[in-house]
This record gives sequence, C-alpha cells and structure tokens, in this order.
Amino acid sequence: MFESTSHEDRAGQATQRLHLMVCAGTGCVSNNSMKVKAALEEELAKHDLTREIKVVATGCNGFCGVGPLLLVQPDGILYQKLKPSQIPALVEEHLVKGRPVEKHMYHPPEGEQPVPLMNDIPFFKKQVLITLRNRGLIDPENIDDYIARDGYQALAKMLTQLTPEQVVEEVKASALRGRGGGGFPTGVKWETCRNAHSEDGAKYVICNADEGDPGAFMDRSIIEGNPHSVIEGMLIGAYAIGATRGYIYVRLEYPLALKRFQLALEQARAYGLLGEKILGTDFNLDIEVHRGAGAFVCGEATALMASIEGRVGEPRAKYVHTVERGLWNRPSCLNNVETWANVPLIIREGAKWFTKLGTGDVSENPWGGSKGTKVFSLAGKVNNTGLVEVPMGITLREIIYDIGGGIQDGKKFKAVQTGGPSGGCLPERLLDVDILDLEVDFDTLVKAGSMMGSGGMVVMAEDDCMIDVARYFIEFLMGESCGKCTPCREGLRNMAKILKRICDGEGRESDIELLEELGHAMMDGSLCGLGTSAPNPVISTIRYFRDEFEAHIRDKKCPAGVCRELVEYSIDSDRCNGCTLCAQACPARAIVGEQKQVHAVEQTHCTKCGACYDACNFHAVIRN
Amino acid sequence: MKLTVDKLAQLRDELQAQKAAREGEARAQVTVHMGTCGISAGAREVMNALLDALRERQITDVRVTTSGCAGLCSSEPMATVQIRDAAPVKYVDLSASKIIRVLDEHVLGGQVVKEFALAVGSERIA
Amino acid sequence: MVTIEIDGQSVQLEDGEPILRGAEKLGIRIPTLCSHPWLEPSGACRVCSVEIIRRGKSRIVTACNYPASDGLVVKTASESALAVRRMVLEMQLARCSHVPVIQELAREYGIEKSRFGEGTETCILCGLCVRVCEELVQANALCFAERGTERFVSTPFGVEADENSCIACGACVSVCPTDHVSLEDHAQRPGEPQDFYLGPKTAINLPFQQAVPKVPWIDPVACIKLQTGGCGVCAQVCEPGAIDYEQQDEEFEVEVGQILVTTGYQPFETKAMAQYGYGRLDNVITALEFEHMLNSTGPTGGKVVCKGGETPRAIGIVHCVGSRDENQHRYCSRVCCMYALKFAHLVAERTDAEVYQFYIDMRAYGKGYEEFYSRVLQEGTTVIRGKVAEVVPALGNGSREGHMVIRCEDTLVGKFREIPVDMLVLCNALEPHQDSGNVANIFSLSRSPDGFFLERHPKLDPVGTMTDGVYIAGTCQSPKDIPDTVAQAQAAAARILALIGKGEVLIDPVRAAVNEQNCSGCRMCNALCPYQAITFNEEDSVSEVNQTLCKGCGTCVAACPAGAIAGSGFTDDQILTELEAILV
Repeated sequence: MFESTSHEDRAGQATQRLHLMVCAGTGCVSNNSMKVKAALEEELAKHDLTREIKVVATGCNGFCGVGPLLLVQPDGILYQKLKPSQIPALVEEHLVKGRPVEKHMYHPPEGEQPVPLMNDIPFFKKQVLITLRNRGLIDPENIDDYIARDGYQALAKMLTQLTPEQVVEEVKASALRGRGGGGFPTGVKWETCRNAHSEDGAKYVICNADEGDPGAFMDRSIIEGNPHSVIEGMLIGAYAIGATRGYIYVRLEYPLALKRFQLALEQARAYGLLGEKILGTDFNLDIEVHRGAGAFVCGEATALMASIEGRVGEPRAKYVHTVERGLWNRPSCLNNVETWANVPLIIREGAKWFTKLGTGDVSENPWGGSKGTKVFSLAGKVNNTGLVEVPMGITLREIIYDIGGGIQDGKKFKAVQTGGPSGGCLPERLLDVDILDLEVDFDTLVKAGSMMGSGGMVVMAEDDCMIDVARYFIEFLMGESCGKCTPCREGLRNMAKILKRICDGEGRESDIELLEELGHAMMDGSLCGLGTSAPNPVISTIRYFRDEFEAHIRDKKCPAGVCRELVEYSIDSDRCNGCTLCAQACPARAIVGEQKQVHAVEQTHCTKCGACYDACNFHAVIRN
Repeated sequence: MKLTVDKLAQLRDELQAQKAAREGEARAQVTVHMGTCGISAGAREVMNALLDALRERQITDVRVTTSGCAGLCSSEPMATVQIRDAAPVKYVDLSASKIIRVLDEHVLGGQVVKEFALAVGSERIA
Repeated sequence: MVTIEIDGQSVQLEDGEPILRGAEKLGIRIPTLCSHPWLEPSGACRVCSVEIIRRGKSRIVTACNYPASDGLVVKTASESALAVRRMVLEMQLARCSHVPVIQELAREYGIEKSRFGEGTETCILCGLCVRVCEELVQANALCFAERGTERFVSTPFGVEADENSCIACGACVSVCPTDHVSLEDHAQRPGEPQDFYLGPKTAINLPFQQAVPKVPWIDPVACIKLQTGGCGVCAQVCEPGAIDYEQQDEEFEVEVGQILVTTGYQPFETKAMAQYGYGRLDNVITALEFEHMLNSTGPTGGKVVCKGGETPRAIGIVHCVGSRDENQHRYCSRVCCMYALKFAHLVAERTDAEVYQFYIDMRAYGKGYEEFYSRVLQEGTTVIRGKVAEVVPALGNGSREGHMVIRCEDTLVGKFREIPVDMLVLCNALEPHQDSGNVANIFSLSRSPDGFFLERHPKLDPVGTMTDGVYIAGTCQSPKDIPDTVAQAQAAAARILALIGKGEVLIDPVRAAVNEQNCSGCRMCNALCPYQAITFNEEDSVSEVNQTLCKGCGTCVAACPAGAIAGSGFTDDQILTELEAILV
C-alpha cells in the first residue's frame, strides 16, 4: 500500500534534504538497479543518513542505454551505469562529503568533459516531456506523488466546469491524433462514439497497452513510470463519451506494467477517484485490467476486443467501426496508452496550449497537422539509445545526432526505419531531399513511404543489410499473423521464403517483381491492418535500396556483410602481424597461422560467424 | 479516504510543499559544509540541529544540502545561506545553537546575523 | 432499401446487406470459398474481393460481408480486384495443389501452376466446418488451433471427439468443399448393425422407398432441432416450406361397429442368445437386416457387403433362432426356412460366396416351396442339419478364410464341425408384440399360451374372436407368410362387409338387462363383464348393457349387490316358475 499521508509524516519528509531517484524501469531493473537501490539504502543506514536522505524508485528515466541510473535531487545530477559495488564510495563522496563523483557522470562520446546535470545532457536537452513529464521524478507506486504534481486536477476541473460535449470539443480543438499508429483525430473518434447508439446504454473506454512492435517500449515506460496519467485520461474520456466501464488490455509480457496499473487502480479507488460517485459527483466509472496472452495481433482493435470477450483473438472486418459496434457489440472508444496520457494535460492546460507544439494548421481541420509531442524509442546504431519525447516537427537530424549522439563508431548513416513492422525504411537521400532534414510528423512520414506507427525508430548504418532487416520484420509478422485470411497468412509465408532464398544466395531475377506483386495484393486484400501493412518494410526497401537487392540476387553478395551465406572472411596479409587473436576467437578452428606469421582463413571450415572480425585490433580481417 | 474536489486540491498543496525538496523550488537553501575538516569539527551536529528545528517549526520551503570543504578549514563548521534572489552568505565557527539563530534571524527573519557571518556574495552554489 | 451499382447494373438491397447478395440477384458471378448461405459471412478467404468506389475513393473489399449503402459503385472484375483474387488463388494452389475446387478456380483465372511451389494440404482453411458446428448445429465440436501458418482445424484441445461434443450429425462433412472432413466411427462398438448404416442415416429420413405416404419423417430423438434448438437446416433448405417442427400427436375418437386387429409381430431379440454373437461380433445380422441390405433401395444398393466394405467369401444362415427352442419359444416361426432359401438363392445370384444353412427341419410346405428348395440345393447351398453351438471370431487376423468360425453339430454325419464364414445371418423368431397384453385388454381379446391373439376356433373360425365384432388377421394371430396373411385378411374383411351389408345383426336372445330404478351406480358389473359389454352412463348414473356384445353368461346378474340386473328369460320369477312346472 502507499504510504500514509498523516501530517506528521509529511512534515517529517519535508526535512529530507536529498531525494535519490533510482530508475526502476524494466530495463534498469534487469540491469540490477534494485540491487543498487538496496546498496544505497544500506550505505545510508550505515552513515546514519536515512533521516535526511530518501531513496525513491521511479519509472523509466528514458536513457536506457546507460542504466542503471541515479538522479540526485534537487541537485539534478545524473549518475549512469552504476554497479552496487560502486555505491559505498559514491555515498561517501557525494552524500556525506558533498563532492559529486565525476567518473560516474555522463561522458559524451567525443571524450569531452563529463556532464553532471541531467538537463544539460544532449539526450535530455532537446526533449519536451508531456506524457513523460513525471518520469524519473515520482514513485509510480504512490499516488501521492502524482497528485503532488497536479495529478487528477484535470479530472477535478472537468467535473466542476465542463460538460461532456465541451470536453469533446476541447480534445477536438487540440487536434490530438492517435498515438498508437493510426494517427486518427482523437476528438473526432470521441465524438462519433459519443453519438453512437447503444441498445442498453453501455459504452466502453479501452486502453490498448498491447504494444507489440518489437523493441517498442514507449507505452511500457508510461505505464511503469506514470500509470495515473492513463487512468486520468480514461476517466476524462469516459465522461466525454458517456462510458460506463473501462478496460485496460496489457500484454502478457509486461508483468511490471500490469502490477503498477493494478496498484494504481487500487489507490485511485481508495481515494474515491475511481468507482462510484467520483470526487463526490454523480460520475461513475470503474476500470478493469485484462491480460493478453502473447499475440501481437491482439493489438488490433477488433482482435483485442474479441480477446476481452473471451473469444479467440482474431480480427474481423472493420466495415462497421468499433466506435459504433465494438466490445460486446457496444460503442467502444479504444485509444493507445500514449494518447490517453496526453488527455489530462490538454484538459488542464487547454487545447490552445497543446497546439503550440507541433506542425501544421489545425484551425479548420484536425487532420491538417500533427500537434503535441511523440515518444520514440530510439534504437539501432546510435550512441544514445533510449526513450525520447520530442515535439512533432523536430527533424530526424536532431533526433539522431543531437539526442541520439550520432552514429556509433563513426559509421556512416544509411537508413532510418520507423513505425515498427508496419513501417518503412527511409534512405539518406529521398527525391533530392536529405532525409535527415525531414520534419517528423504523421503525414510527412507517410508521404516519404513509411509511417509513424507507435514510435519505433531504428537507425541503420553501413553495416546493416536492408534485406536482412526486411526479412526480420516479415518473419516476425509471419509468426504473429492470426492466419485467418489467405493474403496475410500465405503472403507472409511466401515472402519469408523468397527473402530467405535471397539472403542465402539463391535469389532469382524475377524475385523482386514477385515480391512487389505479392506485396500489393497483400496491401489490398488482407482483412486487417497487420496484413495490409506487412509488406511496407519490403516494398520500401525495394524502392529505396533496389541496388542491394540486385547485389544479393545477381552478384550473390551482401554489401553490408551481414548475410552469412554471402559473406566471405579473409585476412589481409599486409596488415596481419600474427598476433593469433583471431585464431583464438574462431569457434570452428578455421584460421591457420603460426605466431608472428600471417594468418589465413580456411574457407571450407569457416562458419561466417564474424568472431575474428570483432577480435582483430589491426583491421586485418576483411569481410566481403 | 474518499476525496472531493476541494480535498484533492488541499492534498496537492500539502504534498507539493514536500516535493519542493525534490525539485529544487525552495525559497532558501542552507548548505552545511561537510568536508573532513567540517565533520571533525562537528558539522554533523550542526546539520542535525538545523534539521530538527525545521521539523519542529514545520518549515517545508527551506532546502538543506551539504558540500565539501569550503577551504577555510580553521573556521569550520561552516554553512552558506542562500535566499532566492539574494546573495549567498557564509557563516563560520558554527554550533548547534548558533545555527538556530541563523535560521530564525536570517533564513526566516531575513536579517543577516553579522556576528557569525564571514562574507557575503563570494560563491554561487549551482 | 438502397440502390447500388455492380459492373454498371443497378440493383436494390437492404441497407447494410452484403453486396454479394446484389451480385447474386443480377446473376453476376463472384467466386467464393468460405461463404455459405446457411452461415454468417467470415471474409477469410478473400476470393470474393471486389473494387468499390465510395465518396470518390477506391478500395478493395470482400463482397460477402461489405454492407451496401446508397450510391455504392462496385466493380467485380477490375484490375486491382482481379490481382488480389489471382494472388489468393495462386497461394492457395501452392498449399493445396491437388484439391479439385482450388485447381478449377485457379484454372478459371489462368493459373495452372503456382510460382510459390506445391503442397499436399487438403484443408483450405475456409473455416466452414468450424462455423457450421458453432453457429448452426451449436455443438462447438470443431475449432481452429494454432496461429498463422501453423493454423489447422481440430477439436478443442485436440481431444478426440466424443459424445460430449461431436454429435456426428455430418453437417461439417456436407459443407466441406474439399472432402477434408469425414465422419469416422470412433465408438468402437463392434457388431452394431447401425454402424452398418442398415438404419436411417439422418434424423429426417424416408423410412423406405415404398412408404405410404411417401414423405420423410423426423425422428424426435435424433433430431438436433427438437433436442437442442440448433440446426434447423432442413426447414431452411425445403423450398415449399413443408417442414413444421411444431407438429404434435393428435388423438381422435371414432365410433365404430366392428374392429379388425392386425398389429403384427415383433422380431425376436437375438442379443438374448449370446452364443450367436449378435451385437458382439461384426457382420452378425438378423434376417430383416439382411433383407434390407439385399433390397435395391437399401443402404448398399442391393450389394452384399461386409462391414469393412468387402464381399463376403462365405455366409452362414442359422435357422430357428428363438424358435423351436425350449429356452425361448417352442413354436415354429413358419416363414424362416423359405426365406433362408431365398437368401441363398439371391446370394448365389450376386456373389460367389459359399452359403451354409444350419437347420433342424426344412419346412417347405406351401405351393411351389418344395420345388424351390430342390432348386436352391442344386445351386450349391450347403445344408447342415444341426444346431449352432456358438460363433467365435477367427484366430489370427481372420483374413485367411473367414472373419468368424461357426461351431455346430452335423447330425447327419455325426460330427462337430467348425465352419469359417465372413457373415452370419440369424433367422430370428416371429413373436408377439411386447405390449400385446395391453392390446388384448383393450379389445377384449384372449391370447393363446404362446402369446398370440386367440382365434374363435382353430379350424372353423380363424379370423373371429370370442368378442363379437372384433376380428384378427395376420401375424398377430400366429406366425405366417404373406399368402396366408392375405388370405386371412380377405376373410376377415369379407366377414365384416357381410355384416355391414346385411345391415342388421342376429343375436342370441339370452341377454342381461339393467333395471335402472334398482341400479345404484356402483359399477361392479362394469369390470366383471368378460366381454366388456357393460358401460356406465354418467348422466343418469346407471350402468347399461350393450345388447349386441352381451353373451348372456350371467356373471353380472350374480354379482349385482342390488339385484338390479336380470337375464332376459332368466329372472328369478321365471326360474322359480319353471321349477314349479317341473316339480308339480
């Protein structure tokens, strides 16, 4: 249970001079951040500092590439990559003696001075936190922290000042667009749902927390770090459309998110913020958490609702929309976690405030631009990987180079993949425009041949093979397809077969045309969004990286050196000094050579694992 | 405890006051210097006395931090008081009772205690 | 109603009705694989993809479930629609390369071979079987298992279907377009002739081709609609709408003067004689079941086949099963010897099987019967005089000479014999119906010791009974064959018509009569009358004697406690007067 809120305790807390915010998002937890926390508490007890210094476990901080993270407040100093063994010295130096420890601070890759303050670190500097506004600053398992930062004020304002119709108008005016991938104007969805007819008056609000895109964890961060923002959003939405019950569908693989939601709901109920007579008014809503069972396809609205109903998670044709007939055939408003998390601020600060951030002109039409921010999970060959929230309209260059810290190891930027398995790969140059100058929003990404999706952003460098990337996504989707309709099930199966063939060096001349033909049939013929968007990675890589396809098919070569069957490792005799490191690393004993003599690779034994390439310090191993 | 709209606002205000410590929006900050010299001279007792006093008086908008040695080891224990938008003031040769006077007269009352003050406006605490 | 345009032609549909219906109305063919008139549309196969134009935007949708709206424009054979259709068929062909329905459809669109390879799957994953079992029959015995490319049709949790889920209605088999689904006997009950489909296969069936009236009937026990409320397919399919599930039995009261009872016989329950293996061994059947098999309108079309479908190599026919038996019925069933010989004759006509007859006596008593017997002997049937002791399954896998072995006594050569046969026909006795006792009571009939109804006189009146006006004919009186039954029936009919023709009946003058004034309404006489000639008049609260039925036995006269009944000509006064006249 959350801490009691008696006056004495609160006063007691007031005299704590330091709060140590330890990141307890899943990423850092799996890297032993809880052990770091325990070590901190132990050391503080040893030095008798527990009265004045408090340790707080927070949700994901976002800078996942350098966890476990510790933020010392109110100083604002961020420590990275902490190990429990380093804690005693850290406590002694910084907390007892007051001297911040440089070696644990963030060091930019160019080897400059360490950056002590979190808000000065480039990764954080350009971010604008709206949905992630509380990240790293609150204990997500304590509703009081949320309330202290104006939590549930939007709910209070709405219940005392706004009618449901006014709430709908406000959300429409904000031009908030769905953050799950569709980009549909949320206010319009709410209005349609509000006006939809229900036989017995029952209507539902649903939160889609199924987040199935591989590598995506935007929603997970929001839930683990700030679950009440979603609950408050759903309360506002339910009031607006007249819903009687809410459901949160959390994917099976998010046990911590599930736990934090359930705890948050309990605490909200205890405070009368959920359930009957909310905040003493006539508004009732309760929310139930429903767990998924390991199916990506259940992120699709109709499949999700089928799953909640207890039926098999298979989509149905959406010729009648779910806002009219959804869960149990009643009007249902399904929104993504991030969408819900934006809602309280829109109501509290006003639609106009929200429209200040972002692109386009929405004064006449909510489709006219993309307002607000978007959370991206930045991954791939960048220096700073993690979760970033940036205003719509920021350029790819800023995201990749300023926030992301540029390409690792000084490699060359090749492409950026957005939107997860439904999205496309964008090359460096696109129709005479530098892709890095693209101002990111819903429509620009679609125009370029990709999509926003749920916010996945994978940066690729010269050593990424685009065919391999396409094949990865197709194989993922093949495993997740529900199998009901022929174009998706068989189409993905056949696409995977063809791509594997190409990667194995058995590609045929006609394969590229066949993939395109197959892709267009799938886009037109599939029953649900999984199938219709599945060909995107393949179609976009064919469009922009056709030469790589041709290299694989005609020349039987993988220019990036990834596809094992097409890669050959050899040793440059000019550079090899016989240090034997490669031979030692080779698991197949395929490298021969005496010490101090030039080594050579026995091609017949070589398994193309690349261990020698990584082991050599003299760049003598050539990967071709 | 079921909240109403008013109780929610009240709770928020109470909680926010505490969070000031976390987010650095205090009205005033007192830094007790705790280098080795300071600690051996009794800086710990000074700080504890200060914290106890703040608790008794239920003051929530004053931040207390530590830092390392200020340089004037012979004058420890030392503390720097910085009121928002005012210059920082260094106090030397402190004791538990003296820091209380500093708290009451300077931090709360707004008047520098010239007896113990060393210098005004020499350093900025980031 | 809304108006839409398909391939340039207009058609009217209900608002929201699938546009496939519109194409059907216009006679425009859109191919489908997973659509069925009995079921809700699924939209799974995507073969019916068409192009629509709505609010200026073009889109590919499936015709089977896309809702019609006013002004919708549909193109069934546009380039993009055909591209989808072709690709779907090509991919199906790659997976199910030898399934006729896929091959034909693919050929129609110019695809002979798939660029995606070949496959030997027989299930096209259309889901029709699953949906019919779920929606129509509501037995939920089929489902899809696994996801994506691993998807296949199965029973829930892969457990073998048992009576608790699958009801073996065969609906799934009838909707499957590829013969992937079939019915299989899993109950493993050997010997049950029902498994031979010697009975009706469906709950609604025509009992036999010569039924009068020749209309199907619904077996209320087997019918899913009447039992669970599901299915109802027969009513959906019947064009004249002749099926009425609400029909109930009706009872009528008819006043008649004469009654002819011809309630027939029932076959002896051969399971009672366990040594013959009926119900225990496969291919042991009764004579009537064999008769059904031999009939050209029967389940095998007249072919003689064993349960496994093969022609039997040898058939045994056992006479006197339940007849001439101290333990069962002592009488002879009269018809068996002749029909056994008929069986032998027909088997010889249709197969090369050996026929063995196990008999006690050959009773060929009728016109032409003895000649027929000689002929059949000449045709090659083997007759063995002796009772069959028992029937056992053949050793080993029984395939060498016969499925079972008959162990019998051959009294003419004085040996025990073991004869291997593939099929055994039991000539079971004709016995009275189980409820003949109740029937006898209703019609005031007497029964002979063997349970059959008693005729008035064994020689002189074979159709009359002790009760005037009630006659019997046919096998309810005693086992007999068709010529004899016809003769008896005509005799009875003639007797009845004679009386009707006469218009009046001559009866004995000795009758009883009730003095209404003295009758107290106790009704003791009603139950006592052996001819059920006394009824109770509710209105006047007195008993009445039916003068036609009364035989003047005098039982009621003696029993009446009020002395209210008197025999005519036998009143107390009259008797005393007679006595006086004799003695004085």
